[in-house]
Amino acid sequence: MPEKIRFSVNGEQVELAVEHHHRLIDVLRDDLFLTGAKEGCGGGECGACTVLMDNEPVNACLVLAVEAEGREITTIEGLAKEGRLDPLQETFIKHAALQCGFCTPGMIMSAKALLLRNPHPTETEVKEAISGNLCRCTGYKSIVEAVLDAAQKES
Amino acid sequence: MFQPFHYLAPHSLAEACTFLREHAGQAVPMAGGTDLLVRMHDRQLKPVYVVDIKKIPGLNGISPRDDSGLTIGACTPLNAIARHQLIREHYTLLAQAAHSVGSYQIRNRATIGGNLCNASPAADTAAPLLALNAIALIAGPDSRREVLLQDFFNGPGQPVLAPGELLTAVKLPPLPPGSASAYCKLMRTKAVDLSQVGVAVVFAGQGLRIALGAVAPTPIRATEAETLAAGRPLAEIDIQAVARAAANSASPIGDIRASREYRLEMIEVLTTRALTELFTQLSLNPAARREE
Repeated sequence: MPEKIRFSVNGEQVELAVEHHHRLIDVLRDDLFLTGAKEGCGGGECGACTVLMDNEPVNACLVLAVEAEGREITTIEGLAKEGRLDPLQETFIKHAALQCGFCTPGMIMSAKALLLRNPHPTETEVKEAISGNLCRCTGYKSIVEAVLDAAQKES
Repeated sequence: MFQPFHYLAPHSLAEACTFLREHAGQAVPMAGGTDLLVRMHDRQLKPVYVVDIKKIPGLNGISPRDDSGLTIGACTPLNAIARHQLIREHYTLLAQAAHSVGSYQIRNRATIGGNLCNASPAADTAAPLLALNAIALIAGPDSRREVLLQDFFNGPGQPVLAPGELLTAVKLPPLPPGSASAYCKLMRTKAVDLSQVGVAVVFAGQGLRIALGAVAPTPIRATEAETLAAGRPLAEIDIQAVARAAANSASPIGDIRASREYRLEMIEVLTTRALTELFTQLSLNPAARREE
């Protein structure tokens, strides 16, 4: 039996009925058609499903949809404002910090959360912040450069 | 997606405990869900009811006590523990251990209560809490009790909790001024892995307290090593001998993360590292000492 919940997604209030056994990733992708967050491992290892919950990154495969009640969820789709890309999106393009792109939404959301809590991270802090996001094309070097570049730009 | 279940989020401890007791075997408590939901995803667990205990007032947060110790609510996320100023200053090893668990995303959800109640021998917060002489606060439908954390684990995956009982908080006794502590963890990778061996050391004014993780069916105190260090000034302790003695308390298994032999060797290495860090914090230089 579905339960009605209200929460905010990318600044917009939504109200919908969710099944208790559905996860946040299921509702985002299948009910709200926000397919940016990917399901990789489904077990909190790969970080491809990373979204922000009240500005803190979580694995959307390990959050029940009902737990989103009253929270603010931000996905990769919510980063660009009025057609303008987020500085992180700009620098990921500039540094070609992606190959297949599967990890990119989660990677950028982890980086976004890092810059929100620490606008001027060191290289080590960047590496640590994305340690829960796996890239199997192994473009880590350019990813770290892109995040550091975005931090520079925002200052 | 999981197999269908009913989700409940009670707002009182009594309600949660009563429900869990009445539906023992069918209902599971959930805090951060980072272990529970993985097991449900893998179909190892198929609960009928998932009881979310995060909405119960008073279970989340870190508060100083009158005796200048700290109380940490069971639903406190590991990130909150890792960055808490008082914990970083006075219970350094617990901040280090909390920080060593999983990824940043995982630590935003994973709680200290979940880490302990899963009763994994490798639980990173367990060895530090043993070395701190921490106390587990347990609530049942109509009772409360306190258990030394050392007595909290019956075996792998088996906390001392009876059906309907929940761990509500962990009490850290105060440490006298001049105390120091360290947690050293060995992993297959530099981060985001379970521990192969974890060593927790605490100096609290006299003697050393040493606890080990991932090297026995439960986290344990290394009593032989502690005895060896007892009754002498810290500066006269033979680090190597104490580290060797620590391995004698262990009874590790070999598994996918490390062989039994490797674990035994590494207890010595990690204990040496942890004690060296402890001495550094106390401005006792181990290298200089050895030359004397």
